[in-house]
This record gives sequence, C-alpha cells and structure tokens, in this order.
Amino acid sequence: METTIQRADNQLVALFSGRLDTAAAQQTIQDVQPLLEAANTEIILDCKDLEYISSSGLRIFLTIRKEAASKGSKVIVRNISADIRQVFVMTGFISLFEIQ
Amino acid sequence: MMSGLDLHCQLILEQYREALPVIEKLKQVVLDALRSALERNGIVVTAVEARIKTEESLAGKLALKGNKYQSLSDITDILGARIITFYTDDVDRIAAIVEQMFSIDWDNSVDKRRLHDLDQFGYNSLHYICRLPDGSPQFAEYPQITRIPFELQLRTTLQHAWAAINHDTGYKTGVEIPVEYMRQMNRLAGMLELADDEFSRIRTEINDYRRRVQMLVHDGKLDDVLLDGDTFRSYLNARPFDALNKRIAAINQAEVQPVSLLNYLAIFKAFGFKTLGDIDRMRKQYQEDAYRLARHQLGNTDLDIVSSSIGLQNICIVCILQQGGGKIGLRRLFDAINGESPQNEMLADITFEQARQLPFMRQQ
Repeated sequence: METTIQRADNQLVALFSGRLDTAAAQQTIQDVQPLLEAANTEIILDCKDLEYISSSGLRIFLTIRKEAASKGSKVIVRNISADIRQVFVMTGFISLFEIQ
Repeated sequence: MMSGLDLHCQLILEQYREALPVIEKLKQVVLDALRSALERNGIVVTAVEARIKTEESLAGKLALKGNKYQSLSDITDILGARIITFYTDDVDRIAAIVEQMFSIDWDNSVDKRRLHDLDQFGYNSLHYICRLPDGSPQFAEYPQITRIPFELQLRTTLQHAWAAINHDTGYKTGVEIPVEYMRQMNRLAGMLELADDEFSRIRTEINDYRRRVQMLVHDGKLDDVLLDGDTFRSYLNARPFDALNKRIAAINQAEVQPVSLLNYLAIFKAFGFKTLGDIDRMRKQYQEDAYRLARHQLGNTDLDIVSSSIGLQNICIVCILQQGGGKIGLRRLFDAINGESPQNEMLADITFEQARQLPFMRQQ
C-alpha cells in the first residue's frame, strides 16, 4: 500500500495505491498526516489505484473528513472503482462523502 | 481645546484620565457579561459593542454643559454599550435580563420608544443607565469600578440603521436640516417600525408553526404534516430509523457513524410524497426487507462500520424495487444521494442482482 501526497495551490491530493486494509492502516494514517493538519483546503482522496478498502480504511477516510470539517477544509473522493463504490453503498458511506 | 474649559471642567477631565484604566476594565467586564448572558439565554443578535468616550468628545461635552456635572461619575455615557437585535421582541427580553444583571438608574434611563406621541415617529431605542452591582468580589482590584455609570442602548437592526443614517445626515454638514427632509426621515422611521413589527410577527408565527408540527409528529399524526425541510427535520428528530440502523449494525457488530439525512428530502419529493405520513408508511412497510438486504450485503464481509443513512438508504432501495422502479430507479437514487456518475449504473446493476436473490424480489 502506498500513499503519495501532492500539493497544489489550495489543494492537497492523496493518491492511494494498493490494498488499504488493517495491515496497511497504521502506515497510511501516518502518511495522511498532512491532510489532517490542512486548514481551509480542498482535500482530494484519489482512489484510482486503490484495489481494496476495509473498515480500517473507511475509518481513515472518516478521520480525514472529521479533521477537515473542523478545520474548514473540504474532502472529495475521486476515481473509486465499482467494487469500492459498492463498499461505500453497503455501509452508507456514500452519504458521508462527496464522490466524483 | 483645553484652554476654553474652566477649572471645574478641567478637573473632571483629569478625573477622566485617572479613571481610564478602570473604564477600560469596565468596558471588558460589561461586554463579557452581556455576551455570555445572551448566549446563556439563546438570543442571537446583530452586534454587541461598546466604546469609551474620547477625551476630545468629553471636552466638547464639558464645554457645552460642564456646570451640569459635579464630577465624572455624573456623566452617564463615558462608557456606552449597545446591543443591536434582530427583533423588536428581543429588545424587551434583553432589557429584562439586563435589569437582573446591573443596577439600573431608573431616573436617568429612558425608553425612547414610548416618548413619541401617537402621530410621531423617529428615534426608537431603549437607554438604560447602569452600574455594576456592589460587592462583586471579582472586582477587588478595581474597587471604584462599581461607581462608574455606563449607558446601555438596546435597539433593533432597523432602528440602528435609521439612527445611524439620521445621525450622519443631521450632523455631517453642520447645517440645519429643512423640515421637509426631517419629515421624510420620520416617515421612514414609521415604515421601519412597521417592518420591525412584521418581522417579529412572522417569527412568532413560524415558531408557532414549528411547535404545532412537533406536536403532530410527537402524537404520530403524520398525515396532517405537509412534507418540507422544517417538518422533515422535526420527523428526523424523533430518530425513526435508529432501530433499523441498530439491527443492521448488529450484523457485523458495527459502529454507526452519524450523518445528516436531510438530503433525502429531495428523494421523497421525487417519490411524490406529500406528508410525513407517506415517509412513515414507507418506513414501516419496507424496513424488514431493508434489513434483509443489508444482511445479504454485509453478512459475508468484515465491514464493521456503517453510516446512520444505511437504514433509510436500504428502505429507499427496497421501495424502488417493489414499486417496479428497477435498475433505472436505483440509478436515479444513487445519483440523488451522491451526484451523477456513470458508475452509478454499474452500481444499480450490482444492487439489483443482489436484491433479486431476496424473497421480496422473488415474489415480484
């Protein structure tokens, strides 16, 4: 599992690649630290190369969303596969995130 | 400036300079007390502000009528505070609170709203001359703070707008305003008074309506409540989907993340629902199959986190499928929940196939 953070003007893009499962969660939460600290920023969670997401991964997304809301930032989930979109539907997370 | 003042007035100015640190402290104490009292009582206002009279302004006042004052404490507006409210009702409500907080000098306080004759309109504001109550231990460092009077003005936003513009037009040029313009200003004051009364009346009626709706929701008379943003919010306050969410969460011992369900209002409107009764009937009719759908989807996963929209979302899915809405209906639902996406078509296909294995679809 790899997480790359890219910075643009008023935007932070996290590119997730691989399987975001319990084993990868600990490293991933460290990797997304810049997102948790960003204020008044548009945060893009780009899931183009994300193959799988577990509950641990959903919790990381949720943590990013909560921190963003408290700091005036906005989170957009982008490029999720049909499988991961289905996870978002099954759990009701489709109502929690703006998905593009 | 100072040279024109007699010795008595210069003495008062000297008292002013010495008292300035205490007046600064008083200003902060008054502002803090007013803001926390408003918050405690849930009153939202346009502004709470305060200013200390400048030395130049005080000197000007003393030059005009300095002999009227024995000492600085006779000047009641050295510190002026003001609360600007949205509604005229709130002026009276805040006045009642202020009367409990401060010692009011009733002889010098004036309700300018009541001074006008029946056929007169103009400056409207409630002015209280106040002091901090004696014996407050927190002011031990400033024992003289309770001896300094301050003026508190209470007025609505519209009254404030009129007063500010009237002040600006009246004082800017130093030329006396012709009677015809004063009449026009006063005519506007009358109009704003009417608008203030209307705003208060509308607020009261909206609050009455909300209370009636809450009562109907509480009594379960949901068919009598038309569906709109306000009524839907009242319905959700009764947490009608909690029991289903808990059942769904129990499938994988999942935690439930709260999320607003207000975006479902547009979906219910698209369903053609007219009253809260329509939603509640749907809830009762489809909640069992909504649970079965969740069990079918989540049962063979280890997903142990769900959002509080899951119950309602599944109810909508089951409702659409039982009403014959098919894959197109599901796609529209997903588009409505989270924006249009080509993937929603695929998602509708998958959900349709999953649901097809459930008893409620086999009966179709």
